[in-house]
Amino acid sequence: MARVLITDDAAFMRMQLKDIISKLGHEVVGEADNGATAVQLADELKPDLITMDITMPEMNGVDATRSIRGTNPDVKIIVCSAMGQQSMVVDAIQAGANDFVVKPFNAERIKESIDRVLS
Amino acid sequence: MTSTEERSKAITSLLNGTIMSVKNTIPVQHTIGKPQLSGESLKLQFGVLIGITGDIKGKLVLSGESNVFSSIGEAMFGMPIQDEMLVSLSGELGNIIAGGLSTNIVQSGLKTDITAPTIIEGNMTISGYERVIQLPVLFNAIGELDLFLIID
Repeated sequence: MARVLITDDAAFMRMQLKDIISKLGHEVVGEADNGATAVQLADELKPDLITMDITMPEMNGVDATRSIRGTNPDVKIIVCSAMGQQSMVVDAIQAGANDFVVKPFNAERIKESIDRVLS
Repeated sequence: MTSTEERSKAITSLLNGTIMSVKNTIPVQHTIGKPQLSGESLKLQFGVLIGITGDIKGKLVLSGESNVFSSIGEAMFGMPIQDEMLVSLSGELGNIIAGGLSTNIVQSGLKTDITAPTIIEGNMTISGYERVIQLPVLFNAIGELDLFLIID
Protein backbone atom coordinates (compact mmCIF):
# COMPACT_ATOMS: atom_id res chain seq x y z
CA MET A 1 0.00 0.00 0.00
CA ALA A 2 1.31 3.43 -0.94
CA ARG A 3 0.65 6.84 0.60
CA VAL A 4 -0.55 9.03 -2.27
CA LEU A 5 -0.80 12.79 -2.89
CA ILE A 6 -3.24 13.74 -5.66
CA THR A 7 -2.66 16.91 -7.70
CA ASP A 8 -5.28 18.30 -10.09
CA ASP A 9 -6.95 21.71 -10.36
CA ALA A 10 -10.33 20.07 -11.07
CA ALA A 11 -12.12 18.91 -7.90
CA PHE A 12 -13.95 16.39 -10.03
CA MET A 13 -10.73 14.81 -11.25
CA ARG A 14 -9.36 14.65 -7.68
CA MET A 15 -12.56 12.89 -6.63
CA GLN A 16 -12.18 10.38 -9.49
CA LEU A 17 -8.54 9.69 -8.72
CA LYS A 18 -9.19 9.41 -4.99
CA ASP A 19 -11.96 6.90 -5.64
CA ILE A 20 -9.83 4.79 -8.01
CA ILE A 21 -6.68 4.91 -5.87
CA SER A 22 -8.52 4.15 -2.60
CA LYS A 23 -10.26 1.18 -4.20
CA LEU A 24 -6.86 -0.14 -5.27
CA GLY A 25 -5.98 -0.28 -1.58
CA HIS A 26 -3.74 2.77 -1.35
CA GLU A 27 -4.10 5.63 1.11
CA VAL A 28 -4.75 9.13 -0.26
CA VAL A 29 -2.95 11.36 2.25
CA GLY A 30 -3.47 14.72 0.58
CA GLU A 31 -4.92 16.66 -2.35
CA ALA A 32 -3.42 19.69 -4.08
CA ASP A 33 -5.22 21.94 -6.57
CA ASN A 34 -2.10 23.48 -8.11
CA GLY A 35 1.60 22.79 -8.52
CA ALA A 36 2.76 25.13 -5.75
CA THR A 37 0.50 23.43 -3.19
CA ALA A 38 1.74 20.04 -4.42
CA VAL A 39 5.35 21.07 -3.78
CA GLN A 40 4.44 22.21 -0.26
CA LEU A 41 2.35 19.10 0.55
CA ALA A 42 4.98 16.76 -0.90
CA ASP A 43 7.44 18.22 1.59
CA GLU A 44 5.03 18.09 4.54
CA LEU A 45 3.34 14.73 3.92
CA LYS A 46 6.25 12.77 2.41
CA PRO A 47 4.00 10.63 0.17
CA ASP A 48 5.33 7.54 -1.65
CA LEU A 49 3.51 8.49 -4.83
CA ILE A 50 2.20 11.71 -6.38
CA THR A 51 -0.27 12.06 -9.26
CA MET A 52 0.37 15.30 -11.13
CA ASP A 53 -1.83 17.18 -13.60
CA ILE A 54 0.03 19.51 -16.00
CA THR A 55 -2.26 22.41 -16.91
CA MET A 56 -2.94 24.14 -13.60
CA PRO A 57 -3.00 27.70 -12.26
CA GLU A 58 -0.18 29.02 -10.01
CA MET A 59 2.45 26.45 -10.99
CA ASN A 60 2.13 23.86 -13.75
CA GLY A 61 2.76 20.18 -13.16
CA VAL A 62 6.05 20.00 -15.06
CA ASP A 63 7.59 22.77 -12.91
CA ALA A 64 6.14 21.20 -9.75
CA THR A 65 7.57 17.79 -10.72
CA ARG A 66 11.01 19.34 -11.27
CA SER A 67 10.84 21.12 -7.92
CA ILE A 68 9.72 18.03 -5.99
CA ARG A 69 12.31 15.83 -7.73
CA GLY A 70 15.01 18.34 -6.76
CA THR A 71 14.49 17.63 -3.07
CA ASN A 72 13.06 14.12 -3.15
CA PRO A 73 14.74 11.62 -5.49
CA ASP A 74 12.67 8.66 -4.26
CA VAL A 75 9.03 9.73 -4.53
CA LYS A 76 7.21 8.25 -7.54
CA ILE A 77 5.46 10.80 -9.73
CA ILE A 78 2.77 9.87 -12.28
CA VAL A 79 1.77 12.72 -14.56
CA CYS A 80 -1.92 12.57 -15.57
CA SER A 81 -2.68 15.06 -18.33
CA ALA A 82 -4.94 15.64 -21.31
CA MET A 83 -1.87 16.97 -23.15
CA GLY A 84 -0.54 13.75 -24.64
CA GLN A 85 1.87 15.06 -27.27
CA GLN A 86 5.33 13.59 -27.30
CA SER A 87 7.04 16.87 -26.39
CA MET A 88 4.91 17.14 -23.25
CA VAL A 89 5.65 13.54 -22.24
CA VAL A 90 9.36 14.18 -22.80
CA ASP A 91 9.22 17.41 -20.75
CA ALA A 92 7.49 15.61 -17.89
CA ILE A 93 9.91 12.67 -17.90
CA GLN A 94 12.91 15.02 -18.09
CA ALA A 95 11.48 16.96 -15.14
CA GLY A 96 11.51 13.71 -13.17
CA ALA A 97 8.15 11.99 -13.76
CA ASN A 98 8.18 8.18 -13.58
CA ASP A 99 5.16 7.64 -15.81
CA PHE A 100 2.64 9.53 -17.93
CA VAL A 101 -1.09 8.77 -18.19
CA VAL A 102 -3.20 10.57 -20.80
CA LYS A 103 -6.70 11.72 -19.79
CA PRO A 104 -9.34 10.51 -19.99
CA PHE A 105 -8.16 7.43 -18.12
CA ASN A 106 -9.88 4.49 -16.46
CA ALA A 107 -9.20 2.57 -13.25
CA GLU A 108 -7.30 -0.13 -15.12
CA ARG A 109 -4.88 2.36 -16.66
CA ILE A 110 -4.21 3.97 -13.26
CA LYS A 111 -3.66 0.54 -11.69
CA GLU A 112 -1.14 -0.43 -14.38
CA SER A 113 0.77 2.78 -13.93
CA ILE A 114 0.86 2.59 -10.11
CA ASP A 115 1.91 -1.08 -10.22
CA ARG A 116 4.66 -0.24 -12.69
CA VAL A 117 6.17 2.70 -10.80
CA LEU A 118 5.98 0.95 -7.42
CA SER A 119 7.52 -2.32 -8.65
CA MET B 1 1.51 32.23 -39.38
CA THR B 2 2.12 34.72 -42.15
CA SER B 3 0.17 33.97 -45.32
CA THR B 4 -3.57 33.56 -45.57
CA GLU B 5 -3.02 30.08 -46.95
CA GLU B 6 -1.02 28.98 -43.91
CA ARG B 7 -3.67 30.44 -41.68
CA SER B 8 -6.52 28.61 -43.34
CA LYS B 9 -4.49 25.40 -43.18
CA ALA B 10 -4.03 25.99 -39.46
CA ILE B 11 -7.75 26.54 -39.00
CA THR B 12 -8.53 23.33 -40.89
CA SER B 13 -6.08 21.50 -38.62
CA LEU B 14 -7.75 22.99 -35.54
CA LEU B 15 -11.15 21.91 -36.76
CA ASN B 16 -10.06 18.37 -37.64
CA GLY B 17 -8.08 18.11 -34.40
CA THR B 18 -11.16 19.10 -32.43
CA ILE B 19 -13.40 16.59 -34.20
CA MET B 20 -10.84 13.81 -33.64
CA SER B 21 -10.51 14.76 -29.99
CA VAL B 22 -14.29 14.54 -29.43
CA LYS B 23 -14.39 11.16 -31.18
CA ASN B 24 -11.49 9.81 -29.14
CA THR B 25 -12.54 11.04 -25.73
CA ILE B 26 -16.33 10.95 -25.44
CA PRO B 27 -17.76 7.42 -25.45
CA VAL B 28 -21.23 8.40 -26.69
CA GLN B 29 -22.54 7.95 -30.22
CA HIS B 30 -22.73 11.38 -31.81
CA THR B 31 -23.25 13.26 -35.03
CA ILE B 32 -21.04 16.20 -35.86
CA GLY B 33 -22.87 18.96 -37.70
CA LYS B 34 -21.53 21.18 -40.42
CA PRO B 35 -19.00 23.71 -39.16
CA GLN B 36 -20.19 27.26 -39.70
CA LEU B 37 -18.77 30.70 -39.29
CA SER B 38 -20.61 32.32 -36.43
CA GLY B 39 -21.59 35.95 -35.87
CA GLU B 40 -19.62 38.81 -34.37
CA SER B 41 -20.34 37.87 -30.80
CA LEU B 42 -21.18 34.71 -28.92
CA LYS B 43 -23.91 34.57 -26.32
CA LEU B 44 -23.64 31.75 -23.83
CA GLN B 45 -25.52 30.50 -20.78
CA PHE B 46 -23.32 27.68 -19.55
CA GLY B 47 -20.00 26.49 -20.83
CA VAL B 48 -16.28 26.29 -20.51
CA LEU B 49 -13.52 28.30 -22.18
CA ILE B 50 -9.95 27.15 -22.70
CA GLY B 51 -7.24 29.38 -24.11
CA ILE B 52 -4.95 28.10 -26.88
CA THR B 53 -1.47 29.61 -27.11
CA GLY B 54 1.56 28.94 -29.30
CA ASP B 55 1.64 28.62 -33.10
CA ILE B 56 -2.05 29.46 -33.28
CA LYS B 57 -3.79 31.64 -30.73
CA GLY B 58 -7.42 31.43 -29.81
CA LYS B 59 -9.91 29.77 -27.56
CA LEU B 60 -12.02 26.66 -27.50
CA VAL B 61 -15.45 27.13 -25.96
CA LEU B 62 -17.85 24.29 -25.14
CA SER B 63 -21.40 25.42 -24.63
CA GLY B 64 -24.56 23.53 -23.81
CA GLU B 65 -27.24 22.84 -21.25
CA SER B 66 -25.72 21.79 -17.95
CA ASN B 67 -27.58 18.47 -18.10
CA VAL B 68 -25.73 17.68 -21.36
CA PHE B 69 -22.39 18.09 -19.56
CA SER B 70 -23.74 15.99 -16.69
CA SER B 71 -24.85 13.13 -18.97
CA ILE B 72 -21.56 13.14 -20.89
CA GLY B 73 -19.72 13.01 -17.56
CA GLU B 74 -21.83 10.09 -16.46
CA ALA B 75 -21.05 8.25 -19.71
CA MET B 76 -17.32 8.95 -19.32
CA PHE B 77 -16.88 8.40 -15.62
CA GLY B 78 -19.76 6.14 -14.65
CA MET B 79 -21.43 8.31 -12.06
CA PRO B 80 -24.11 11.01 -12.08
CA ILE B 81 -22.58 14.43 -11.46
CA GLN B 82 -24.33 17.49 -10.10
CA ASP B 83 -23.91 20.94 -8.55
CA GLU B 84 -20.35 22.04 -7.76
CA MET B 85 -18.83 18.85 -9.12
CA LEU B 86 -20.67 19.48 -12.38
CA VAL B 87 -18.83 22.80 -12.79
CA SER B 88 -15.53 21.06 -12.13
CA LEU B 89 -16.40 18.19 -14.48
CA SER B 90 -17.32 20.65 -17.25
CA GLY B 91 -13.94 22.36 -16.87
CA GLU B 92 -12.20 19.01 -17.04
CA LEU B 93 -14.19 17.96 -20.10
CA GLY B 94 -12.99 21.17 -21.79
CA ASN B 95 -9.46 20.46 -20.66
CA ILE B 96 -9.59 16.91 -22.05
CA ILE B 97 -10.99 17.98 -25.43
CA ALA B 98 -8.55 20.91 -25.75
CA GLY B 99 -5.65 18.73 -24.58
CA GLY B 100 -6.60 16.14 -27.21
CA LEU B 101 -6.82 18.89 -29.82
CA SER B 102 -3.38 20.19 -28.89
CA THR B 103 -2.01 16.64 -29.09
CA ASN B 104 -3.68 15.91 -32.44
CA ILE B 105 -2.45 19.01 -34.28
CA VAL B 106 1.22 18.31 -33.57
CA GLN B 107 1.12 16.08 -36.68
CA SER B 108 0.20 19.17 -38.71
CA GLY B 109 3.29 20.90 -37.36
CA LEU B 110 1.38 23.12 -34.92
CA LYS B 111 2.78 23.41 -31.42
CA THR B 112 0.30 24.73 -28.89
CA ASP B 113 -0.35 24.81 -25.18
CA ILE B 114 -3.65 25.27 -23.37
CA THR B 115 -4.72 27.28 -20.34
CA ALA B 116 -6.63 26.04 -17.31
CA PRO B 117 -10.40 26.13 -18.03
CA THR B 118 -12.66 29.08 -17.24
CA ILE B 119 -16.28 28.24 -16.44
CA ILE B 120 -19.06 30.38 -17.89
CA GLU B 121 -22.38 30.56 -16.02
CA GLY B 122 -25.20 33.04 -16.50
CA ASN B 123 -25.59 35.36 -19.48
CA MET B 124 -22.26 36.05 -21.11
CA THR B 125 -21.23 37.61 -24.39
CA ILE B 126 -17.83 36.94 -25.95
CA SER B 127 -16.58 39.31 -28.64
CA GLY B 128 -13.38 40.91 -29.95
CA TYR B 129 -11.89 38.07 -31.96
CA GLU B 130 -10.99 37.67 -35.61
CA ARG B 131 -13.32 34.81 -36.41
CA VAL B 132 -15.23 31.99 -34.81
CA ILE B 133 -16.24 28.61 -36.15
CA GLN B 134 -19.19 26.86 -34.59
CA LEU B 135 -19.23 23.07 -34.55
CA PRO B 136 -22.48 21.52 -33.30
CA VAL B 137 -22.20 18.00 -31.88
CA LEU B 138 -25.39 16.04 -31.24
CA PHE B 139 -24.95 13.24 -28.71
CA ASN B 140 -27.48 10.39 -29.01
CA ALA B 141 -30.12 10.43 -26.25
CA ILE B 142 -28.28 13.28 -24.48
CA GLY B 143 -28.50 16.47 -26.48
CA GLU B 144 -26.37 19.02 -28.24
CA LEU B 145 -23.05 20.53 -27.30
CA ASP B 146 -21.77 23.47 -29.33
CA LEU B 147 -18.03 23.79 -29.79
CA PHE B 148 -16.73 27.21 -30.77
CA LEU B 149 -13.23 27.63 -32.15
CA ILE B 150 -12.29 31.24 -31.65
CA ILE B 151 -9.32 32.52 -33.62
CA ASP B 152 -7.70 35.65 -32.17
